[in-house]
Amino acid sequence: MKKVRFGLTLLLCIALWVTVTSCFSATPTYIGKSSETRNIHMIVKMNRGEYWNTVKQGAEAAAKEFNVNLTFKAPNSESDVMDQIQMVEDSITAKADAIILAASSYMGLAQVVDKASYYKIPVISVDAEVGSARVTTYVGANSYEAGQKSAERLIKLLNGYGEIGIINFTNSSSHEEGESSSSMDIGARDADEREKGFLNYAARYPDVHVVQISYTNSEIKDAEDLTRLMLIKHPNLRGIATLNEIASQGAAKVIQNSELDNIKMVAFDSSPAMMELLQDGTVQAAVIQNPFSNGYLAVKHAVEVTEGLDVPDRVDTGTKLIDLENMLWPENQKLLFPFVR
Amino acid sequence: MSMKKAFFPLRPERPKGGKLRLSSKLRSIQFLITVTFTTVAVLVAVIVSFMLYNKFAKTAEDNANLNMQQIIEQVNYNLELYVKGMRNIYEKAEEQISQTSSIDTPLLKERLSTLRETREDLVSVALFTPQGKLVLDVPSTTMRNNTQLGNQSWFTAPTRTSEISFSPPHIQNLFKNQYTWVVSMSKLVQYKENGVHKTGILLIDFNFRTIDELSKQVKLGKRGYAYILDPLGNIVYHPQQQLIYAGLKYENVEPVLEYAYRSYLDESTGEKRFITVRTLAQTGWKIVGVAYYDEIVTTKRDLNQFLAGFLAVVILGVIIASVLMSALIASPIRKLERTVKLVGEGDLNTPIDVSGTYEVEQLSKRFNLMLQRIRQLMDQIIYEQETKRKGELEVLQSQINPHFLYNTLNSVIRLAERGKTDEVVTMIQSLSKFFRISLSKGKNIITIQEELDHIRHYLVIQSFRFKNKFRFEITADEEVLPYQTIKLILQPIVENALYHGIEMMPDEGLISIQAKLKEGLIEISICDNGLGMSEEILNGILTGGSKSGGGSGVGVRNVNERIGLYFGREYGLSFESEIEEGTTVTITFPALINQEDPIDKEGGTPE
Repeated sequence: MKKVRFGLTLLLCIALWVTVTSCFSATPTYIGKSSETRNIHMIVKMNRGEYWNTVKQGAEAAAKEFNVNLTFKAPNSESDVMDQIQMVEDSITAKADAIILAASSYMGLAQVVDKASYYKIPVISVDAEVGSARVTTYVGANSYEAGQKSAERLIKLLNGYGEIGIINFTNSSSHEEGESSSSMDIGARDADEREKGFLNYAARYPDVHVVQISYTNSEIKDAEDLTRLMLIKHPNLRGIATLNEIASQGAAKVIQNSELDNIKMVAFDSSPAMMELLQDGTVQAAVIQNPFSNGYLAVKHAVEVTEGLDVPDRVDTGTKLIDLENMLWPENQKLLFPFVR
Repeated sequence: MSMKKAFFPLRPERPKGGKLRLSSKLRSIQFLITVTFTTVAVLVAVIVSFMLYNKFAKTAEDNANLNMQQIIEQVNYNLELYVKGMRNIYEKAEEQISQTSSIDTPLLKERLSTLRETREDLVSVALFTPQGKLVLDVPSTTMRNNTQLGNQSWFTAPTRTSEISFSPPHIQNLFKNQYTWVVSMSKLVQYKENGVHKTGILLIDFNFRTIDELSKQVKLGKRGYAYILDPLGNIVYHPQQQLIYAGLKYENVEPVLEYAYRSYLDESTGEKRFITVRTLAQTGWKIVGVAYYDEIVTTKRDLNQFLAGFLAVVILGVIIASVLMSALIASPIRKLERTVKLVGEGDLNTPIDVSGTYEVEQLSKRFNLMLQRIRQLMDQIIYEQETKRKGELEVLQSQINPHFLYNTLNSVIRLAERGKTDEVVTMIQSLSKFFRISLSKGKNIITIQEELDHIRHYLVIQSFRFKNKFRFEITADEEVLPYQTIKLILQPIVENALYHGIEMMPDEGLISIQAKLKEGLIEISICDNGLGMSEEILNGILTGGSKSGGGSGVGVRNVNERIGLYFGREYGLSFESEIEEGTTVTITFPALINQEDPIDKEGGTPE
């Protein structure tokens, strides 16, 4: 009897307490703020270059915002596919919560990505896709479209005729100078897509001839050499399209130094040096991506994936064609020089 | 008897049905006190808590708001100072340029260089002709091609105003080797070139370093921040400027631009945020403080938790206290109730000793006294009933006293043998009337008239037996006769007078009986002139010390008892006696005339 009463009293108390307290607290939820630190590994193609540096800064900004412990890894060169595979392996061993990968090789990284997903580690592609169905989401530009934009502008600059040389990048050693790509899947997806986009667009113009496609291994020096060789080999060359930052810098340097005013060039990716060349008039236009956004969104979506939220299959961060005329537009200034300090 | 039962039910009726029991439980003092006390206390606690909460929460909110406004005010002030400093530098540069006789002297360049180096946030100082030709620049660098000067606001603004104009943040693309985000100050100035007065545009660029430093320190809660807008809505400073520039973040600047001085609640991002806007007087820049509502509410939440805990403790305490308190009050009452129940079940000897509150103790004490009184009354009733029964039995016996009948009949026989028919008739008549009144249909109460008749018949009979050994006289006031009396109260006394007072007397005796009304009382005195009684005997009569040997057996004491029982203890017999002189017995009782007394009827039932 006494016990029953005591129990009832206690029950009443608890009920009251619950009623009273439930009126108050409602905990807010926003991603990355509530839970523990996540280990996210970001593996990109190369540890050099303005472009990857910007990607890294974007990733770091997101890491800071979403309480992520970011491990940034990259091989010395974009062609170090084996290195990159090893890095992914290491991240799997380290039990990363998520892996963000800019694959140097579309097929080369496929297997290791499958392995990661076998260990229930979500993989997010950034910039360059990888040939695995296990990839959670892709964050980056539409490379095919970017290639087309480049071609469109270059052909316009050339008034629709003339010889064009392309300087692309890829890690595949099987690509020899002068050969057009034989096995696309071995190279980096973005490089291949850009090239494909460019060639497909150029094919519409019968008077435009893509006379040579050279592949640099992500060294400015190498790109310079390739450009020189190309210029020697094709004295009638009217236009050059470069498909990544290193290639652009190398080619622009050659053109600037040789003072070949008649050669039009459409570069790829922004860097302060490239902007200077653009303002100089050495380079007529540049296709730029959003490396900062790529890095940022990749990390953000990685966090969302680890929290079990839905993420879009594909996030297109867009590309833009910049020339002398629009480079000082306020919105382009912001895009080209995201670092105020 | 049955009437008494009605007054004192020994066994209370059992409550009927379980429902009644339950509701009686709900109506118990303990339950009521507990519930009432708890409800009131909890209600008060809740109301007070809510009021406190609202008050505190509002204060916290106001404080946070005020705090934020003060912080923003401070930033505003610092920035104003900074801008003023920049202005001063500009004016100094202008002064130096206008005072120098020729713009291309190395001294001027050196001075400007020094001026620039004093501030690390100064990027460059340059002088342009209105046509866009570079006249002077510090530090000296090569100017780029394609600068599109004409499109840049710092170049066009001075032609519209004579004040120093501040440009929106932009990339300075003039000089080689740098693309820096700067804010440009520009104005038309006068300078001399080779002694010729000319007008030019003086440009001083400064970067965001100091602005960043001033703004970065602003902490509005954990997530709150401050940012700076120029009058066109361009972001001068933002802690997440890169994200905003990259289009990854969005700041709702439109409502900010509409006001120069304002605080409001913004929900455009889906989250409640307090926005505070202040405007720099000189540049028109707006300093915008953003604080997250739910962080302000953190204080509220802490308060919440505290109040919730406080409430829980209070409620628990109140419940415990009220349970204890009500138990303290109710348990002695319950104990008392249990004891009383025992008493009710008939155990009048149950001692009631309940300790507790003063009232309950008093109640228990009074109840004890009452019980004691009841016990006394019970004893008394038992005694009285017994006595009454005995007396009535005696009366019953006296009504048909065989000894008296035998003696009387003997006397009748003797008279008859002697042929004294008249006497026999008188005798038998008296006897018959005597018995008729004796029985009087079993009634206990008769009129004084009847009682006097009765004693007269008795005396007539006795006078035959005692052969005129005595005389008797019966006098009564007319008014006395209809009053009531218990029957057979005179006979035992007269019998006593005859057998003890007159029989042994050599002379003729006299028995006189007088009945009169005196101040509402009936007084019947029986006087004899017989032997009288000694003091001891007199005293012993009513206390039962002496016992009469013969007689009808209906004792004088019995008469006294009966009168006392019927009329009250204060009534009864009184004796006066003197040896050799005689005895007077006086019977006193109230004069009652009501014939329909219920007690009389009760008594009338045969027992």
